[in-house]
Amino acid sequence: MLDIQKLQVVFGTGRLRVDAVKDVSFHVEPGEAYGLVGESGSGKSTVLRAICGLAPITSGRVLVDGAEVTTPRSKAFYRTVQMVFQDPYASLHPRHTVDRTLSEPLAIHGEKDTETRILQALREVGLGPSFRFRYPHQLSGGQRQRIAIARALILRPKVLLLDEPTSALDASVQAEILNLLDDLRRKMGLTYILVSHDLAVVAHLCERLLVMRHGEAVEETTSAALRSGAASNEYTQSLIQASQGFTRNAKPPLQSLAG
Amino acid sequence: MTKPLLDVEDLRVRFHLRTGTVEAVRGVTLQLGRERLGIVGESGSGKSQTGRAILGLTPPPGEVTAKRLAFDGIDLLTASKRTLRTLRGGRISMVMQDPKYSLNPVMTIGEQIIEAYQAHAKAGRGEARDKALAMLEAVKMRDPARVFSLYPHEVSGGMGQRAMIAMMLVTDPDLLIADEPTSALDVTVSMEVLRILDELVTERGMGLIFISHDLKLVSSFCDRVLVMYAGRVVEELEAKNLREAKHPYTQGLMRCLPTLADDVRPLPTLNRDPAWAL
Repeated sequence: MLDIQKLQVVFGTGRLRVDAVKDVSFHVEPGEAYGLVGESGSGKSTVLRAICGLAPITSGRVLVDGAEVTTPRSKAFYRTVQMVFQDPYASLHPRHTVDRTLSEPLAIHGEKDTETRILQALREVGLGPSFRFRYPHQLSGGQRQRIAIARALILRPKVLLLDEPTSALDASVQAEILNLLDDLRRKMGLTYILVSHDLAVVAHLCERLLVMRHGEAVEETTSAALRSGAASNEYTQSLIQASQGFTRNAKPPLQSLAG
Repeated sequence: MTKPLLDVEDLRVRFHLRTGTVEAVRGVTLQLGRERLGIVGESGSGKSQTGRAILGLTPPPGEVTAKRLAFDGIDLLTASKRTLRTLRGGRISMVMQDPKYSLNPVMTIGEQIIEAYQAHAKAGRGEARDKALAMLEAVKMRDPARVFSLYPHEVSGGMGQRAMIAMMLVTDPDLLIADEPTSALDVTVSMEVLRILDELVTERGMGLIFISHDLKLVSSFCDRVLVMYAGRVVEELEAKNLREAKHPYTQGLMRCLPTLADDVRPLPTLNRDPAWAL
């Protein structure tokens, strides 16, 4: 479904040059959920942004369904690939009602049946029709993220790029959103790429994952291997340890606190 | 623990708004010795407002009432502004969530630590400078002299948070209130910051109130945990006994987290019982 080959993303030139992503390759099968894990600055979000055209592809190739993407991305691309952002407080237009937010992608792509499509999209994410004419400030964080997911799904894409979809939410709300994403994938046969710093979230939602650090791929592994603690890489091990909570006598991870 | 460091009884924080009165904290009672106390809850549970009310930092139009709110025998509700000023930052300090917003962007980190120190101790510039450098070293800055002359935007989040901890601990407070000190940081960096905080708190025998939404983190870091829901403490327990939590809210919070250890699908969600909020 998605093939990333030697992707490189560079921002700025000369003294201000930043190599955000260096030579990252991975392949995602249709219907698979693939995770990208790492600290901030590891380039995991930049990979997502490069796929959907929000960051430049300096070199390397991004193939969707076997065809290389064009810059700027075509309308057909956005019918196949949609993105859900981290912070539902920031990603929804504060002065647009849910109805307007959801009808915009339909209008752009010249879709008909706006009314039924919106009601269906709301139903799919577990919200009733009563939410249709509300503004984002009249919704809770979890409800907003559901609207953001509905917005992404309304064009019936095959691939969903999820950039930390639950890290701005409370633990109990996170569980609801993760369940929703799990359900939707099974029902609609979606392909996910999930970016998160939380190993447990990635292991829950994805089958395979890539650990990134400083823009480089550190290790590609499976959730099953993570669960059994079979991760070979030292950095992955330190991430696993950190996800278990604070331990008083653990040895500090190698050269952390960089910067 | 003969006399508690902090004694709070029936603390209430109310906001009188146009749309009615919102009671953010509804009768919190707690006693703190020289120990690490965690306050856990979801957004809107009143955990941060509790921490702020203790320091007298409730934003207007908030109103704070309590049967007793005493720090080391000093009544914080009736104390003069002058007394409060010497306490705040001197004997009680607060570490905020995000160093990006809590540090002064137009002052170097070193200057800010010196300012904090000189506000509470009669010290000359040279002495304050030495103290600031020593403090930066205590929070494990690799090159304290360099960090001293940097501006907040020139350091990473983890360094900024450590600088804030340095600033808050330079006056050697008896009580430190940390409001989500690591939520803005990466997992590995936040572990490092916690380790430093832990060391300093233990070494100096401070009391610590650690406010967080992360139950797992709090229970691994603190001695005792208060669980808050809708402005009330619904459960208080020893951190190590967290697994034996009685209240359905605490249990629900524990269960709804995905873990690496086992694969539960779908994740149990929290069914909020309106009775919890009563």
